[in-house]
Amino acid sequence: MSFRDILDSGKFAVTAEIGPPKGTDIKEMYHHIEVLKGKIDVANVTDNQSAVMRISSLAVCKIVLDNGMEPVLQMTCRDRNRIGLQADLLGASVLGIHNVLCLTGDHVNAGDHKQAKSVYDVESVQLLKIVEGMNNGKDMSGNEMKGATNFYAGAVVTPEANPLEPQLVKFEKKVKAGAKFFQTQAIYDMEKFKSFMAYARKFPVKVLAGIVVLKSAGMANFMNKNVPGISVPQVLIDEIKAAGKEKALETGINIAARHIKQLKDEKICDGVHIMAIGMEDKVPMIMERAGLL
Amino acid sequence: MITGEQKPFEEIWNMVKDFKKVLVFGCNTCVAICHAGGGKEAEILASLLRMKASEEGIAIEINHNAVERHCEPEFFQPVMEDIRTYDLILSTACGVGVNLLSENIGDIPVFPAINTEFFGAVPRAGEFTELCAGCGNCILHLTGGICPIARCSKSLLNGPCGGTNNGSCEVSPDIKCAWVLIYDRMKKLNKLDLMKEINEAKDWSKAQGPRNFKVKVLEEIKK
Amino acid sequence: MNKAVESTEEAKAPSIEKPHETPEGWEPNILAFACHYCAFAAADLAGVMRLSYSPNVKIIRLPCTGKLDQIYVLRAFEKGIDGVFVAG
Repeated sequence: MSFRDILDSGKFAVTAEIGPPKGTDIKEMYHHIEVLKGKIDVANVTDNQSAVMRISSLAVCKIVLDNGMEPVLQMTCRDRNRIGLQADLLGASVLGIHNVLCLTGDHVNAGDHKQAKSVYDVESVQLLKIVEGMNNGKDMSGNEMKGATNFYAGAVVTPEANPLEPQLVKFEKKVKAGAKFFQTQAIYDMEKFKSFMAYARKFPVKVLAGIVVLKSAGMANFMNKNVPGISVPQVLIDEIKAAGKEKALETGINIAARHIKQLKDEKICDGVHIMAIGMEDKVPMIMERAGLL
Repeated sequence: MITGEQKPFEEIWNMVKDFKKVLVFGCNTCVAICHAGGGKEAEILASLLRMKASEEGIAIEINHNAVERHCEPEFFQPVMEDIRTYDLILSTACGVGVNLLSENIGDIPVFPAINTEFFGAVPRAGEFTELCAGCGNCILHLTGGICPIARCSKSLLNGPCGGTNNGSCEVSPDIKCAWVLIYDRMKKLNKLDLMKEINEAKDWSKAQGPRNFKVKVLEEIKK
Repeated sequence: MNKAVESTEEAKAPSIEKPHETPEGWEPNILAFACHYCAFAAADLAGVMRLSYSPNVKIIRLPCTGKLDQIYVLRAFEKGIDGVFVAG
């Protein structure tokens, strides 16, 4: 079943990230693909995540596909102009990659090539429109293409952005521009997320909640302080602290599993997007504890 | 106005040290206001360079001068004869001035002593801020008079990115999120509906150089 | 207007010494910029009181130290002054 069919069928979908490495040694990445295969529904391949230069998302999507998993091509507007983006979309399409997550992309300031010239010729909303146009057989300038694409397009939203209202204006624009599914920034507060979903349910889109495992209380505090749109409630930080240093990761995994289970059991959203950030090995364990395997 | 900051002294010295007769040439308009390249700064820079030359034991004649503007030839024409006696002009004008003087001066090199930055406002004395990027295709009527091209780190046209952080930009807490400013302003103006409209991809062809234009009326008169 | 060279005087001024070891018994040449209303008056008073100070300090009276300009200081150094003292 394709990603689109899974979400349309109402099955609780699970995606996880595959982070392409910097360099040509892809042994570890292969290992991650093996670990996740048959467990998750689709693999999200990040696109020079955090503006750090790595193997291209497109190439790794093809590897994922060849290894028997369905990929989601993450595509940012930071590194390519509208010509490059469309060319890569066509390339993805002929390689059999049909899910695309349209992102604006972290600023180069966050990455390892801070002196690079950012592109941002178009941005996420406009990229969604480009995808929609190409699905209808036309490029961005309105030229007829020989053969249309068939992308299932998604976007991201930050339910805990501060302030939230401008973020929601953009969310609605993304829906209007053709986003069919949304992945969220990491969420930790179920009550807040429920109220976001009460709003998001008004739109004909599928929402996958972002899950990032807390490895320690320090990590939670760091994210609260430094990552826009992430807020870990104090009760969770206390829970990890109470477990002690040795069991911090274990507790973090349990929290993630508990959240996933709640999201599924209470039908709060349509699936989860697990951002393992170097802990791909642990994803099956999280899923098991969440009752998904 | 055009803003700029003087280059690091060592960089300037390395440009200058192999010449024998150098004129530090200031511009008394924009770059004088930002204390980077007016006549006063040209005089100071000339003095510092003379001292550096002495310290290094290198004989260079270094003088200074300034005119009101470097972006219109009329202003530097009267001193052209004098400045042609130098073998290097170290211009403290903006990049426009360096280009125009280079075109007019003949075989004498014109080097920049400042890094030209942006055209900006002076919200408070001594502070300069970029509010317009001169993209050639203004949309300020759609964004409450706040320019996302110049003021959003990613020049986004349809709202804030996920990096918006309590009103600041992910790039730096010192940068205000332009889209939060726009949202607040549109709300005040009772124009939030306008913000919900999708802005199409920008026509960047209008923003790419080399750009030039002629005043139509003057062209008609010439005919 | 438009005489290209405003400061040939400096250009021809004796060049600054290269840095070298301080010779025995050397006294620095100090230039003091003093405000007419306070520091310069104090120097006057010192004279009246017959207080002595080093002959290697030369005083220039300014109407106010606000009149001091970077270029005064730089010119002093270019002409071989070793230290500048601003009082006001």
